[in-house]
Amino acid sequence: MIKIELETGGSVWKILKKSGDKVRAGDTLFILEVMKMEVPYESPADGTVESVYISEGETVEEDQLALEMSPQ
Amino acid sequence: MSWKKETDEITERRQLARQQGGAEAIAKHHERGRLTVRERIDKLLDHQSFEEVGLAAGAASYDDGGKLRTFDPANFVLGFGKIDGRRVVVGGEDFTMRGGSPSPAGLRKSVYAEELAVQFKVPLIRLHEGSGGSVGGKGQTMPAPVNAPARFVSVAEAMATVPVATAALGAVAGLPAGRLVASHFSVMSKTTAQILTAGPAVVARAMGEQKTKEELGGWKVHTKNGTVDNGAEDEETCLKEIRRFLSFMPNNIYQLAPVIDSDDPVERAEEYLLNIVPNDRRKSFDMRQVIQAVCDQTSFFEIGAGYGRSQITGLARLNGQPVGVWANNCKFLAGAMTADGANKARRFMELCETFSLPIISLVDEPGFMIGSQAEKEATIRHGTSTVLTAAMTTVPWASVMVRRSFGVAQAAHYGPEGFVLAWPSAESGPLPVEGGVAVAFQREIAAAPDPEKRRLELEHELAAKQSPFPRAEAFGVHDLIDPRQTRLQLCLWVDRIQPLLPTLLGPSRFSIRP
Repeated sequence: MIKIELETGGSVWKILKKSGDKVRAGDTLFILEVMKMEVPYESPADGTVESVYISEGETVEEDQLALEMSPQ
Repeated sequence: MSWKKETDEITERRQLARQQGGAEAIAKHHERGRLTVRERIDKLLDHQSFEEVGLAAGAASYDDGGKLRTFDPANFVLGFGKIDGRRVVVGGEDFTMRGGSPSPAGLRKSVYAEELAVQFKVPLIRLHEGSGGSVGGKGQTMPAPVNAPARFVSVAEAMATVPVATAALGAVAGLPAGRLVASHFSVMSKTTAQILTAGPAVVARAMGEQKTKEELGGWKVHTKNGTVDNGAEDEETCLKEIRRFLSFMPNNIYQLAPVIDSDDPVERAEEYLLNIVPNDRRKSFDMRQVIQAVCDQTSFFEIGAGYGRSQITGLARLNGQPVGVWANNCKFLAGAMTADGANKARRFMELCETFSLPIISLVDEPGFMIGSQAEKEATIRHGTSTVLTAAMTTVPWASVMVRRSFGVAQAAHYGPEGFVLAWPSAESGPLPVEGGVAVAFQREIAAAPDPEKRRLELEHELAAKQSPFPRAEAFGVHDLIDPRQTRLQLCLWVDRIQPLLPTLLGPSRFSIRP
């Protein structure tokens, strides 16, 4: 299982993938807004999104677990 | 009559010294997945280049006839050696004896490492695995005299004179931990090392905190807080990183860093630079790709990627010339200068100043980090310290305004008499329009029929004024350039500054401390 943890705090601007979605390496999974800047989080590998633990508009913190995916 | 008996004893003592803590202790050490200090030194240095110093130092016992009965070598291995043909001093604790806690002779050898490096003016490499003194220590007959030289003078002098690179390869605590961080580059093994001011037993006794060594001082803790610069997968990768770091460095402050022949054409213009900075100012980009495009291919060696992550620092080459590279990372807190980012950048400038390395600055600075956490971290003080450090540097600077350049913090990215280029995407001013408009036009926005629409209009108007063209018209930058020409422009600059570099040699106006 690949865990995507947040590098910084901020607010969740957009979630582009949901549980069960197939993703390719480099696909944008979700976008945070930090200091008025969009910060996209990309999939590190091909695989399937298993769980998304954040929601749009939520204020999030550094090191928070955002998403889990299984590699292909 | 000859000295055969004595020379045989020398041979025997040398054999005993090379046995370290004995076959059993070495086997146990290997079982834990760790190399011995002698294996580490062999892997670090050029083949068979180790010239050991003090192999005869240790504790001996004799029988009634005065014949050698036992010999425990000093548990710090020290000597000269070569890396890529250049001489260095190397040393490290021997964990197979007393767990690396210094024996009397081991301590003498370990503190001699700095003195040797300063005396011979060659880089110093310390490979650490050990702890400090022990209250139950044997063999300490009496404390050092009052007129003994202060122990850390040589440590500080080494940092001001020669490159010092260190690795944590096992548990490192107490004095070795202090010496580990007294370095220009430090790296720890993710699989075998922990760095501890004090270990779990002492912490439990003093603080009531129950933590493992890894929880207290593993790589996840110390690559993020800046205790060490880099984390590497294993011991061998640590040693490779040290070799790589030294490849950019001169032997000492009296020499220039080695320039190599580069087969990367100075005219190489990467097309992707034309599009890398998004037109939408909310969108981030990968500054490391800019660094790769501009510097000699594969030459960038990042230092401290896990710490102060809004700033990127590292060494690289431009047409073979070693340079320090400092850039903002807008993917982390928009690239704002945090307290730890400021400290990272300050220390990096000090490294470049100490060893006369030109600085390339790729600027995308929105300003000091703001908010309650930033205030708690004394960001303005740490940040201003960085600004003033830049102002005091004497090395040549080339700064490229890639995107944003705002506030007091931006001043840290431009050295005195620096060469300044701007990309078309550059924007600069006292503060970014988003924050500035909200404050300066607060009443006008609130009074507007559609405040949000008015705010966006004002932001748009003012953003146009922050464009680099008026700045270039006022000769506020040396030139406006096509981003694809950045490498060529910087390589030409590197050629122009060659006559300046020899004038910088010797002690700098300020040095570097951990």
